[in-house]
Amino acid sequence: MTLKECYAALEGDYEGVIARLRSEKMVQKFVLKFLNDKSYELLETSLKEENYEEAFRAAHTIKGVCQNLNFTKLYESSSKLTESLRSGKGEETDELLEQVRKDYQQTADAIQAFGAEG
Amino acid sequence: MCCCSSFFSYGKTSCPVGLSMLYLNRWKGPLWSDWTAQALSAYRFCIKMFNSHGRKQEVDYMSGKHSPRQTILIADDSEMNRSILTDMLGDEYEIMEAENGIEAVSILQKYGNSISLLLLDIVMPQMDGFGVLAVMNKNRWIEDIPVIMISAESASVHVERAYELGVTDFISRPFDALILHRRVVNTILLYAKQKRLIDMVADQIYEKEQQSSLMVDILSHIVEFRNGESGLHVLHIRTLTELLLKHLAQKDSRYQMPRSQMSLICTASALHDIGKIAVSSEILNKPGRLTEEEFATMKTHTLIGASMLEDLPVHQGEPLIKIAYEICRWHHERYDGRGYPDGLKGDDIPISAQIVALADVYDALTSERVYKKAFSHDTAVQMILEGQCGQFNPLLMECFKEVEGILEEELRTNTQAKANQRQMKNVTEELLRHEELSASERTLQLLEHERMKYSFFADMSQEIQFEYTAAPSMVTLSVYGAKKLGMEEIIMDPHNNEKVLEMLGRDNLNIITKALHNTTPEQPVIKQDHEIRINGQKRWMRTVGRAMWSADEPPRYMGAIGKTTDIHDERLRIDALVQMASHDPLTGLFNHNYARERIRERMELLPKGRFALAILDLDHFKDANDNYGHMFGDHVLIYMTEQLRRCIRSGDIAARVGGDEFLIFLEYKDNVVAAMDRIFHSLAGHYEDFKISVSMGVARTEIVGKDYDTLFHAADQALYAVKRAGRGQYRFYDDTMKEMLSVISPIDGSDDKFVSDR
Repeated sequence: MTLKECYAALEGDYEGVIARLRSEKMVQKFVLKFLNDKSYELLETSLKEENYEEAFRAAHTIKGVCQNLNFTKLYESSSKLTESLRSGKGEETDELLEQVRKDYQQTADAIQAFGAEG
Repeated sequence: MCCCSSFFSYGKTSCPVGLSMLYLNRWKGPLWSDWTAQALSAYRFCIKMFNSHGRKQEVDYMSGKHSPRQTILIADDSEMNRSILTDMLGDEYEIMEAENGIEAVSILQKYGNSISLLLLDIVMPQMDGFGVLAVMNKNRWIEDIPVIMISAESASVHVERAYELGVTDFISRPFDALILHRRVVNTILLYAKQKRLIDMVADQIYEKEQQSSLMVDILSHIVEFRNGESGLHVLHIRTLTELLLKHLAQKDSRYQMPRSQMSLICTASALHDIGKIAVSSEILNKPGRLTEEEFATMKTHTLIGASMLEDLPVHQGEPLIKIAYEICRWHHERYDGRGYPDGLKGDDIPISAQIVALADVYDALTSERVYKKAFSHDTAVQMILEGQCGQFNPLLMECFKEVEGILEEELRTNTQAKANQRQMKNVTEELLRHEELSASERTLQLLEHERMKYSFFADMSQEIQFEYTAAPSMVTLSVYGAKKLGMEEIIMDPHNNEKVLEMLGRDNLNIITKALHNTTPEQPVIKQDHEIRINGQKRWMRTVGRAMWSADEPPRYMGAIGKTTDIHDERLRIDALVQMASHDPLTGLFNHNYARERIRERMELLPKGRFALAILDLDHFKDANDNYGHMFGDHVLIYMTEQLRRCIRSGDIAARVGGDEFLIFLEYKDNVVAAMDRIFHSLAGHYEDFKISVSMGVARTEIVGKDYDTLFHAADQALYAVKRAGRGQYRFYDDTMKEMLSVISPIDGSDDKFVSDR
């Protein structure tokens, strides 16, 4: 699996990220690092503990990282979740969280597959 | 790029301690000549810096150029984001990282201007990016350290707010690597250029001031030289002028002026007599009294000096020239209008001239001149205060009276200081030539050196060291201190921090805060002992702190530095010593000395109180010792003590006076007989087979007064009477016992002691 195929699998914007960060090597390094980022776990635990301030920050971080790496699909859902958490728990939070979970899983699967081959 | 990185790749673990020595040696020069050849060309060394999370950072100093690689601080809570930026910039810049706002503030506080750029995220835990900007504004760091905000928060309110708080640039995520890189480089270059310009200007101003003050000194010295005055006259006048000026400004707000103005007046004071250049030296140096005509010529030096300044072809309008003009022209005017040349009166005479006039008179009186001997300081002061040298502004006279005590000392030390300053200047020039450094850059390096030294000693000393800044309210603890207290190194708003309050307690915190606020710049040090809670245990600690006051007038409280040491064990030892010195070791009762002090205190405290003092003695105690052994005797005494404790009230005083003698002291309202009777009977009984019987003599202050010795002696005599009457009873002292001997304290040199059962 190539990096390009990985981006296709996680529904990201490969051309966009290469244009911005300008080095396939660098992008690859950070894509692989993505799974080490603890923000997703933090998001889940802080939501469980109803600490919405922390959850907002976690979602915000995921959004920022996805933005940096042009993980378009996860960026969009985490972005919506961030907004719904901006001032405490919103009406749509649960629904949006479901979407983020799905997208995160999809992204993680793609990266794992890529990492296993690379 | 930088050979520093290769240095580290060879020996990551061993940035040697010796480096700081090398660093020191650079200032001395010749010692390390072995190194010099290779080193001068391209030797550089690295100082590892650790930020609060222990991530290793490197800063290197090129010995040749002394231009440290610039440092960028990245504040972002996402490790990912930080490492993307580090990847992009780490080749060219040193990177420090902070994962929240508080950490960023603490790094800024610690490293200040050695940080060339801050890349700042908005959303972060503990303190967000705007919080960091607020602190940077409050401390005016924002003026020296450029900030680029990087955030996914692209809403225009955020962008606007960021620019309002002084950020140089706002970059939204996702960013283009090339653009970000370019913006970072541009910002750093721009600021570096600006900084260099500021340094250059500052150096030039410094240079210019030095030169002009040198010229003034030379010029006025020429005048003095012709005058046959001591070369110190000008320095004295300057010192006196400064002293009086400062004092006057403190005394009366009408005379408050900016520092720069004061320093102008002081510099200009040196020019007061330049007009004398036009007066013939026959007159200037005439030993005897001047004729009227000669005096008239002499007087012209004021107007001549003034017109010399007025006619200067250049520099007209310079404040220094304007002030020098006032001083030259009017430093012989007097407050009552009887001076010369214009006969100005009162506050029509500029204050600069009034002050120089007074300084001139004082120094003339206390110095030797061809026409007079030197007067002593005291005589000179008296002559001035009596108006023998003309009338001065009454307020100025008050100032003079208040500072006259320190005048002599000030003149001596300040003149010396001036000479030292010259020497310093030479040293500075020497350094400048050799090091090719600007003064400001060198200061930075010295500061860096001091910082290393400080943190080294702080770690070594095993003391809790702290630094408190009032704005923003923040405490920084030494690494050791933070560990020992189990707290963060940086504590924002400590007065409302739960952990601080739990550890120190609100009362202690208030006491320390208040004590620091109540200090003065002259006496800024406080010492407090307090009990604090460390890891759940209470311990006695001693805090020594020094308040930091600004140099403004009036001084502002800026914060404090200090250390706290554990004195718990010492305190316990002292408590134990106090206990030992005041208590009888066998029974734990007070000893006689200590009881005496307490009783005297009590009687003084309650002058209207009625007191009784009883001395009691165990009958036939010797038998107990003889028949059952000393151990048994001791047990009897301990048992007796328990009985005694049981029958007295908490406010009463009980003590062991000697072997088997005890003392009870109590205050009574009306029925002292009943009280004593109850005590007496509750003491009787048995300890094992030994029958306890007590003899007791009581004296009352109502009868014998409140002198302790008399009271004690009377009780003793009453006890003697009891022994004589066959023991096992108690008696109150009365006048019939006046001539009795005593049991315990033979007085009047009598050795005829009642030896009953000892």
